[in-house]
Amino acid sequence: MTTDRNNDIEESASGWLIRRDSDSWTDADQARFEEWLDASTLNRITFLRLELAWEESARLKALGAGVPGDRPPPPGEWNLTAFFYSHRRPAQDGGAHSVANDGWTQQDSADTATFFRRALRSSRHFAIAAGLFLAVAIGLGVYQLQREGEHFATPVGGLTSVPMIDGSQITLNTDSQVRVRLTRTERRIELKRGEAFFEVAKDHDRPFIVDVDGRHVVAVGTKFSVRRDGNALEVTVTEGVVKLDDTILTVGMIARSREDGLLVQRKSLAEAELNLSWRRGVLMLREMPLSHAVAEFNRYNVRKLVVADPEVGALKVEGNFRPTNVLAFVRLLESGFPIRASVEDEQIVLNAR
Amino acid sequence: MKPLPPVCVGVSGSSLEPLDSWFKREILGHEEILVRFIARVWPRHHEIADIRQEAYIRVYEATRVARPQSPKAFLFATARHLMADRIRRERIVSIRAGGDNEFLNVIVEEISPERRVSAHQELARLARAFDRLPAQCREVLWLRRVKELSQREVAERMGLSEKTIEKHLRTGTRLLARYTQENALEPRINDTDELESDETGRDHGPQQRH
Repeated sequence: MTTDRNNDIEESASGWLIRRDSDSWTDADQARFEEWLDASTLNRITFLRLELAWEESARLKALGAGVPGDRPPPPGEWNLTAFFYSHRRPAQDGGAHSVANDGWTQQDSADTATFFRRALRSSRHFAIAAGLFLAVAIGLGVYQLQREGEHFATPVGGLTSVPMIDGSQITLNTDSQVRVRLTRTERRIELKRGEAFFEVAKDHDRPFIVDVDGRHVVAVGTKFSVRRDGNALEVTVTEGVVKLDDTILTVGMIARSREDGLLVQRKSLAEAELNLSWRRGVLMLREMPLSHAVAEFNRYNVRKLVVADPEVGALKVEGNFRPTNVLAFVRLLESGFPIRASVEDEQIVLNAR
Repeated sequence: MKPLPPVCVGVSGSSLEPLDSWFKREILGHEEILVRFIARVWPRHHEIADIRQEAYIRVYEATRVARPQSPKAFLFATARHLMADRIRRERIVSIRAGGDNEFLNVIVEEISPERRVSAHQELARLARAFDRLPAQCREVLWLRRVKELSQREVAERMGLSEKTIEKHLRTGTRLLARYTQENALEPRINDTDELESDETGRDHGPQQRH
């Protein structure tokens, strides 16, 4: 085997790969392609290697989500921090990739207006993109923005940020939906399902109100998240002051409200932020019974984890995980716990071993 | 070739995932550290790609029969045996160690302490590889993959022929695949830490608590 031969095969493989994704691909092409794949293992592994690179390149979408226009940003000017941290962070000491120039995180109204115009113009692309996004499923970059009137939603496994015309920003977690209404006297957001993080621009004349099934969370200028599980409601405050119905919540407080009452915990800011790690596409579990961890994972995935055994459900797990990569989680469980997983199409059942 | 260590002990679980997608994730996903491993052992760097491809072929053919429990260890064991074979066959005098093949017994974990890379770090790496593409190639790939235009639409947008667009896409994909490998050969720059500095972004696996 020589490098030259490898090069020739890679050249052929790239041709198959690109043409296969083009409009002119025919059944006859497919047959010839399969024949080529089967001709040698070298052909096949060369193709798979390029196919992986091609699939990976779709993840650039995660970075393209906020880039205005059709052109890629100049090399080195990716705003990685802006994508992952929806709040503004101080510039870190100037590595080439900390990319502190704020670019499109600036949310003056002009940018926001452009965003909406763009969203409208490319709504067709959003629709086409949606199916592919799910397939790519790394959770983070992967999002779908459904915009009908003032509704914003994410699919299972999605994560997206919605800039608002008043300078506020809403970050939606998996399987979430909000309805936004801005008037001259108030800013009213209805959390219809799921979980959202709100960064509220100060505007004393227009209170920022999050409605959840008859309960109200009111803020002036602050950062907080609201999560809804059926009728249960959880509010986590990371900056400023928030009012949940008649209860005042300050930084580090986590309030859980259910039909049978309200529980408020005061935690450190760092602990409260654990609740918000989803904004970076990470699920941080600390000494959590597996049954709870499984419920968390299931929010992010169509294929559900099922705990077949109460003993298994009581095991405590801890770690940082990508919530959409459920198979990786299952593999870790199998390697570190007395657990056997049976992976089925619709679900993954966890049994005691 | 000596028998492989017993890491290949049958089909794992009830995994019925197609072999090709399994292979991409469990084997090809380790390319960067595999190349780093080969480079450390094998002095003739121009042969690295050949060795890498040969290791892939052997692993692919072995996994047709049964998928290893520990794909990464199997991949590295395969690469190690393959290099030992070459040394015997070509009578290469070991350059780094004293005559025998001891240097081949590098512990995999030493080179690649199991480090789960966050999605964030992976994206940063992808962005860097993408930035190295030639300008036009980069723009074509962006329109095709991010803006999801068809090849024809990209051609119209850029005023180029569809054939040229296809050429750019082919080159771009090959380069993206190659940059991962070159990344392994370059001196290591701790490229993502600055992005992770103040967060507990490193994953650590589950720990059992009683």
